[in-house]
Amino acid sequence: MVLVMKEYDTIIIGAGIAGLTAAMYAARKRMRFEIVSTDFGGQFMVSGEVLNYPGLVKASGIEFRSIMQKQMEFNKVNVLIETVREVRRRGADFKVMTDKSEYDTKSVIIATGSLPRKLNVPGEERLDKKGVTYCSICDGPLFAGMDVAVVGSGNAALEAVDFLKDIASKIYLVIRGDRLKGHEYLQERLKENPKVEILFNAQTTEILGDGLVSGHKYKQNGEEKKLDVGGVIIEIGRIPNTEPFKGLVELDEDGHIKIDCQCHTSVPGIFAAGDCASGHEYQYVISAGQGCMALIKAAKYLANLKS
Amino acid sequence: MSKVKVYSTPTCPYCHLVKEFLHQKHVEFDDIDVAADHDAAREMIGKSGQMGVPQIEINGKIIVGFDKPAIEKELENL
Repeated sequence: MVLVMKEYDTIIIGAGIAGLTAAMYAARKRMRFEIVSTDFGGQFMVSGEVLNYPGLVKASGIEFRSIMQKQMEFNKVNVLIETVREVRRRGADFKVMTDKSEYDTKSVIIATGSLPRKLNVPGEERLDKKGVTYCSICDGPLFAGMDVAVVGSGNAALEAVDFLKDIASKIYLVIRGDRLKGHEYLQERLKENPKVEILFNAQTTEILGDGLVSGHKYKQNGEEKKLDVGGVIIEIGRIPNTEPFKGLVELDEDGHIKIDCQCHTSVPGIFAAGDCASGHEYQYVISAGQGCMALIKAAKYLANLKS
Repeated sequence: MSKVKVYSTPTCPYCHLVKEFLHQKHVEFDDIDVAADHDAAREMIGKSGQMGVPQIEINGKIIVGFDKPAIEKELENL
């Protein structure tokens, strides 16, 4: 008996907006492909509300996920829940190795997104899920009636403050720099909120607590200060989820996969899209666009291989 | 009363996934909204020492987060 190994046109890694968009296009192009991911839904899973996606007036992260799920079913896309360990080059082709299987493929689209950045201060790890959280919409309701600190100055931090405005008693927004960075409409909401106190030039130095969080230490203008809070919400940005691809494709200094404006990486046949790629702005609509671009360019790459 | 309890908040996406998963497995459970029920929130934190959701109690054992293999393992002992 001859064992016939299936060879794919492309393997899409990641099922956030970028990966799912690529998969939808791959399905409609009738390509031989699989989409593999540790879970369904990426960053939008933990989004409080989506207000800037074209064609969608307003949706919660959960509603958005449900729409994406229906859209994948409509296009007969089935996401395989597997964790990619490694991608190896096999001549001009590739082998994608997961915790459950191996896939031989002519091209790869990496859309693995990003993970929350940690503060790396004493107390942070010990008190994780004990008052320290990286998901305000998940754990935020548990801070009802408490004073809390939100660390960060970008969109995610400002969204966390907005989400907590009807839950917490007092919200300290702890910002390392001297200005807010998030969308202007979020800044407006925050400035109108009497519960919010913004601490500029404040560097978190420690999270305090015996069992559960009881305080937040920070340094401001050379002076050590302390806030008595029951929760610390950390939203200081994201780091790309590109560990399995180190040594395979070129990364930038922050670990993003370097791409050109057509989603090509440093390796012909490997494409990248969304938050894991350089040039990211952590916007859903950019991820969707790049997912589409990566797939179309992969299809052109495959056509050139045949000709 | 069910042998399985899910402590959740309405806005938590992972809580939705846990409940979806239990429904698929035809497992009956009590859904406890710790955002609305502060006594239940205190009870949850008292049991696990943790403030994150979801928390799933199966046969008195608490699993924090949507940890599918751990939930499946505990469900086998139901």
